[in-house]
Amino acid sequence: MPETAISTLTLAHFLGIGAALFALGVIGFVTRRNLIVMFLCTEMMFQGVVVTLVAFARFHMNTTGQTFVIFVLTIAAAEAALALALVVLLFRRQRTLDASAWTELRG
Amino acid sequence: MHVAAIIPWVPLLAAALCTACCASRTLRTLAAPICITGIGTAFVMTLVAIAKLAGAEGDHYTAYLAPWIEVGGAWVDGQYVGGMIANFSYHVDSLTAIMMLAITGVGSLVSIYAAGYMKGDEGYARFFAGVALFIFAMLNLVMADNFVLLFLGWEGVGLASYLLIGHYYRKPSAAAAAQKAFIVNRVGDFGFLLGVFCVYQAFGSIRFEEVLPAARALLTGEAAGLAPGAAAAYAVAQATQAANPAYLLAAPFGLMLGAFGKSAQLPLFVWLPDAMEGPSPVSALIHAATMVTAGVYLIARTIHLFELSPYALPTVAMVGALTAVVGALIAASAFDLKKVFAYSTVSQLGYMFLGVSALSTYGAIFHLVTHAFFKAVLFLTAGSVMHALAGQLDMRKMSGLAKKMPITCVLMLCGCLALAGAPLTSGFFSKDLILADAMSFGISAPTAGAKVVYILASLAGLAAALLTAYYAFRAWFRVFLGDYRVEFGEDDHGHEESHEEHHDPAHPREPHEAPWLMNAPLIVLALGAIFAGILLKATGVIEGAILHSTANSVEAPIAAHHGATEAAAGTGHEEGHAHRHHTPEYLHLLMYGVSAAIAVAGIGLAWLLHYRQRAIADKLRDAAPAFGAALNRKLYFDVLYEKAVVGPLRLVGQIMFLIDSLIVDGAVRLVARGPAFLGRGMQPGQSGKLHAYGLGMAAGIAAAVFLVFFAMSR
Amino acid sequence: MTTPLALYLASVLGAAALLLAMPRRGRPLVPLGTLLGPFLAATTLGLLWLLLAKDWLTTGDTGLEPLGFAYYYVFGGISLLAAGRVITHPKPVYSALWFILVVVSSAGLMITLSAEFMALAMLIIYGGAILVTYMFVIMLASQSAPLDSAEALPDYDGSAREPVAAVAAGFLLLAVLLGVAFDPSIERNPDAAVPAAEVAALLPERTAQGESSWLTSTPTDPTSAEAAAQAVEVSNVERIGVDLFTGNPLAIELAGVILLMAMIGAVVIAKAQPPSRSDDSGGMGAGPGAAPGANPADAPPSADPLRAEPPEIGAMSAVESPA
Repeated sequence: MPETAISTLTLAHFLGIGAALFALGVIGFVTRRNLIVMFLCTEMMFQGVVVTLVAFARFHMNTTGQTFVIFVLTIAAAEAALALALVVLLFRRQRTLDASAWTELRG
Repeated sequence: MHVAAIIPWVPLLAAALCTACCASRTLRTLAAPICITGIGTAFVMTLVAIAKLAGAEGDHYTAYLAPWIEVGGAWVDGQYVGGMIANFSYHVDSLTAIMMLAITGVGSLVSIYAAGYMKGDEGYARFFAGVALFIFAMLNLVMADNFVLLFLGWEGVGLASYLLIGHYYRKPSAAAAAQKAFIVNRVGDFGFLLGVFCVYQAFGSIRFEEVLPAARALLTGEAAGLAPGAAAAYAVAQATQAANPAYLLAAPFGLMLGAFGKSAQLPLFVWLPDAMEGPSPVSALIHAATMVTAGVYLIARTIHLFELSPYALPTVAMVGALTAVVGALIAASAFDLKKVFAYSTVSQLGYMFLGVSALSTYGAIFHLVTHAFFKAVLFLTAGSVMHALAGQLDMRKMSGLAKKMPITCVLMLCGCLALAGAPLTSGFFSKDLILADAMSFGISAPTAGAKVVYILASLAGLAAALLTAYYAFRAWFRVFLGDYRVEFGEDDHGHEESHEEHHDPAHPREPHEAPWLMNAPLIVLALGAIFAGILLKATGVIEGAILHSTANSVEAPIAAHHGATEAAAGTGHEEGHAHRHHTPEYLHLLMYGVSAAIAVAGIGLAWLLHYRQRAIADKLRDAAPAFGAALNRKLYFDVLYEKAVVGPLRLVGQIMFLIDSLIVDGAVRLVARGPAFLGRGMQPGQSGKLHAYGLGMAAGIAAAVFLVFFAMSR
Repeated sequence: MTTPLALYLASVLGAAALLLAMPRRGRPLVPLGTLLGPFLAATTLGLLWLLLAKDWLTTGDTGLEPLGFAYYYVFGGISLLAAGRVITHPKPVYSALWFILVVVSSAGLMITLSAEFMALAMLIIYGGAILVTYMFVIMLASQSAPLDSAEALPDYDGSAREPVAAVAAGFLLLAVLLGVAFDPSIERNPDAAVPAAEVAALLPERTAQGESSWLTSTPTDPTSAEAAAQAVEVSNVERIGVDLFTGNPLAIELAGVILLMAMIGAVVIAKAQPPSRSDDSGGMGAGPGAAPGANPADAPPSADPLRAEPPEIGAMSAVESPA
């Protein structure tokens, strides 16, 4: 019976959700031009990773994945704080949130 | 540790301090005291080291300082055995002792002289650093206990010579002369290295205390009583003699080439006259008294190796005799005062080579020592003249200086007398010793070829002696006697400060006597030039020293019969004694008489042509213009080298330059252009647009995951 | 195995749906594209769910399992649709709100994975703290235009940028990832998976800390309440706490340092005054002097404090000199 249980609702199902969230985040990051939304999309990529980690933790029968999620959350919070501060700064300079306004930083 | 082990390093320390003194103008004046102290200390330490020699076992001792090269062998009981060993370790015997005394003694005196001579020169500290460096290298050369350390000193003196010839490096001729000296010496050094390789192949060792006893044993056939290392070298050498005698035959020729290069012998002598571009003290110290005698020292040190090769010593004899004559001929026609003495040095070195070639290492070293004295005097007095006349060296433009510079006049007279071999001066004894030994060696040579070579060589030596007396006094008569007449030179030697008053039109320029700081060492040297010969001859110091060193020749195989009759029982040195005593006394006496007559004749000729009737000399010169021109141009040796060596080399160099600039540089430029093209191609990717970067990242991750999990796992 | 093929097909369909739903002002790909997109996405997702759950539909008669399955499909579907909406909604505020829905639904997924603490922490930190910060910044930075008028949207919000390439790349990535996740051969790879017994042997101290029951208990359906009640003697929070503080003390310290640095950095960055430009009368930080919504070109040059100063000094000296 455990065999069937695992086979019916497998790790792959959750990994699929995580991968989909991650891919949607990537698409959003690329297509959206609003700096804030772009950062929101990176948060969504984090979300996909978090789902994946928790799924691994459950199916590997330990809590390492969940512990790792805590650190991911930490980094996400720090990143959000800094990124939003930067967005505010950039907005003050150019009066716009368009990422294309900063192409002068090209190599 | 023996005191001898640190003797060379004291001048090196002085050199380092002098180099540091280059830093500031105020420190520069300290360089001379430092240099003099360093060399003087080395002199005193040399005396100590020689005092220790008296109690040494086996007439020599080895002062070990530090390991350097130990390859191919193994450590056994804390001792490195087998393989090639070349350490900083110094072999002190009586031959070394003589050389050390000459080097540090003359070096001290010359550096005292230079302290006055170089005053006001902008390269004051640099000059003394070079001198101290030279003393370091030269001491390494004569004290080395192996060929590699000797080569270190050999190259070191070359470097110091290069630096000091090029002291006035802003002057193109000085820079060119420095390069010429360096490059011509490379030819000789190449031969030297080949010789060392042959020695290592033949003996399996390059340490003197192994190679030389082994060579001696090979000559005498007595292998008993050899030290273990020497016995091993003897065994290897015996095997070599049986299987590959070419190594033993070739080794002296390689060393000979090195000696000819360093000592300015015939094919390679062209650099020495040009080397007179350096300051006069350098000419005196390096290019007359010490460095150029390194070749003589080398052959004297390794005389047993030369004896092993039947053709080596006659070759040396021919080259030496020819050089003596050619050098004297050119010297007799030169007008540049220092050039006269430079060719004279070439000629006198030829005598020394003639001496060693006749197995008269005693005569050669004796002449080396006396020559160091009188040639130093001559060069330094020439320097004084040059100093007084603001760089003027052309003998046609000066005359009758005796009234203005009496001391210098007397001092140079001493030097000229000794050079001319006037009776009872030091040059007289040493030159006659060489000629008598060569003559007797030739008379008693077993083969007709050797007979002819040596007798001709000693006759050539006599002819050169006549020329020597002539050109020495030609110079002296022209410069100091006659009507007072002087044309000042351009003074491009940096004495502006000391000659400031002469540029004042109110005071006409007057040649002035050199200061006492310069004259005092000259007086010491002049006394040596006159009396050293008779002292050394009477006390037999050098003869005894040679007998107790490895330079003591073995009369085998060509002159084996010499000592056989008179050999006394006892030590192995008796054979050498026997030979020298065998040079019949009548021959010596005859030679004394002949050469005294020749010297007087030469001086008289010079008196006639250059004091009484100077016009005759010019007429004679005009009578054979081609010969005179040839002599003036070094018998066209430079032209020959220019056409035969320099031209082709320059062509090769230009071809190489083309290959380098087209192919090598082209390849490098192509390689450099590749990344630039790549970068230009990828430049659009760096658009500064965030989404483009994100897009690239996503595609990249997809590709990477695909590769890792699908393409590579299957 | 038809599953990978179906997944790839779903990826393509989803890509098409997303492409249709992308904001594209003025020139939609097809008429009613913005409506067709969500419809197509929902359909695709539904069909995919049916395909994935067909085992459950046929053999779904084992205790409480169906409930767990239902949770997975419900929360998964909500989160994916909400995520699609996050990236397609033209207005940042609504994007943020949709993102909260994504967070909430993934919290639901985590509960089905018996990670209750994670689920709640996610809700509080993401849905609460971080998203509120985002909302603040969006409000701060948005123009004073009415939220619901499409014409007032700035150009950079109203239209997507290179949607075709982005969607192609993104779904390529998704297809590859799904292929990996659902590839049975990879799981069977002996190098890839370590046997559970070895894992247990590698973690002796953890078994000693009372987790043995959880580790050694037969892995059952994660959503089974009975199994959970039986297996979880130690609560989820306690397990994470033990693992966190016994296994990663250094990482915790580093996390603390990172948070502190982020805080200080945010303060410093946000306080920094941008240098005033000649064509800019001052940014938001210019203070009350800059009227909100004022056209910068209309602002008189004297409004620039740097420019205003020299005449003032001149005037003062002019006043003083007669005195």
